[in-house]
Amino acid sequence: MAERERKIGFVGCPPEEVLAPRRKHALIDLDNLIEGVPSRSESLLPGTTCRIIRRVLDNALALELDEIVVDEGLGKCDSARGLVEVLAGLLDVPIVRTRNDNREGAGTPICDSDLPLWQKMELILAHLVSPRPLDLKPSPRPRAAMWGVPAADFGIYRLFPDGTIVLGWTRCLENRTPDHWELEMYVPEGIPTVFFAQTFCPKNAVAQHLARKHRGLHVDVDGVLSQPVRAKIEAFLRFRKVWD
Amino acid sequence: MALLGDFGTSWTKLLDTESGERRILPTRKAREVRADIATGHNALHRAPRYVNELIALAQGGARLIRSPEFLLLDVGSRDVKYVHMRRGELVDMDWTATCGALTGFTLELLGRYYELDYAQLQPSDKAVPVTCGILGMEQLFELVSRGIPEAEAVARFARGIALNSHRFIGQPKQFHLSGGMCDNPLFLHSFPAEVEVVPVGRFALIEGLFEELERPQTPSKDGRPEGREMR
Repeated sequence: MAERERKIGFVGCPPEEVLAPRRKHALIDLDNLIEGVPSRSESLLPGTTCRIIRRVLDNALALELDEIVVDEGLGKCDSARGLVEVLAGLLDVPIVRTRNDNREGAGTPICDSDLPLWQKMELILAHLVSPRPLDLKPSPRPRAAMWGVPAADFGIYRLFPDGTIVLGWTRCLENRTPDHWELEMYVPEGIPTVFFAQTFCPKNAVAQHLARKHRGLHVDVDGVLSQPVRAKIEAFLRFRKVWD
Repeated sequence: MALLGDFGTSWTKLLDTESGERRILPTRKAREVRADIATGHNALHRAPRYVNELIALAQGGARLIRSPEFLLLDVGSRDVKYVHMRRGELVDMDWTATCGALTGFTLELLGRYYELDYAQLQPSDKAVPVTCGILGMEQLFELVSRGIPEAEAVARFARGIALNSHRFIGQPKQFHLSGGMCDNPLFLHSFPAEVEVVPVGRFALIEGLFEELERPQTPSKDGRPEGREMR
């Protein structure tokens, strides 16, 4: 008898050997925006919780999952690890706890491609759920770079020129090495770089440090991209001659 | 000829490039005004071409200050922003619409409410902690209820805004100031005594739009339109 398709949610970047056998089921990345999911996390989490952690909780509460797979390794933060305990307390759903300490890089062809930045981000996230061969061309002369984790509001990515390279944790995500700190810290010299973190995310400290070190711009966004942050990015790209 | 507009939260500034005529009117009375190039919080749908406030501020600063290096702070009704430029290159910038929110607007409201003439008010050496306009106003009313004269309470409020703004830009010894607060003598004298504040007036953002007149409007090779808002 055929196995019933199950609805499995995952958080972060669990090891490939855990994700692969589950791809025959409906695999859902709980870090991503899912239309129609109501916001219930506000009454359950402190006000200083980042938008992605809130989103994971909202998705997990709304989607009637059969199983949740989480990466509790160093690729995730204490908030995410704490959230696992919150989920375990609130839901009667099996939770598979994993630690992705993979060091065998899968490569970063999407991050380095000539695609528009928003499309790269969508591809990286989609690739985690259902990997498929891609025919990509590397960005010949990247004019800008974007460092950080995937943003809650993808509107931020449309401010950048095509071929903007992707750095930081998102690069580690494509590489399937979410706790590869050296890769996360990699910033090529000479490319105007925006260092992004969610508001309330501990990565803001290192994002600001790297921005100073590399003459970049540090921004943090809580959910929807605000006009001041949009203006800062536009001005940075203008005055660093990314846009003439 | 072109009409340049800075459609701020409370006030709209307009400049006719042909006649040189400058006008300032309440934004609520400028709903029908359409410019050729616009900037400001209420600029959306006011012109075919939008320039964001930080770019306008940097370009306006370069036109008005004519120094290889300048730090220009703009304290508006709703927010506080600055640019620090050196030889045409961006050194630093920031824009906050949360901390410092509504401080300019609140100071204007308080002046009207208490019927104060800011040219006659003595600055205070004490400051109300003004994290934003609303919280600052709460502190101010607390002072008034404790018997502090209204003029002194408002002067402490103005000093709170000045000190916050000065910290926001990294506490330089000298800087330029633009925006509505340039017309408020109490605010201008509320910064620490050793700090030189050089007001450049309320048209700094508008001045920054002149450069856009010379900027080609053809789409870039990426197909991304130049100098336009993409909300």
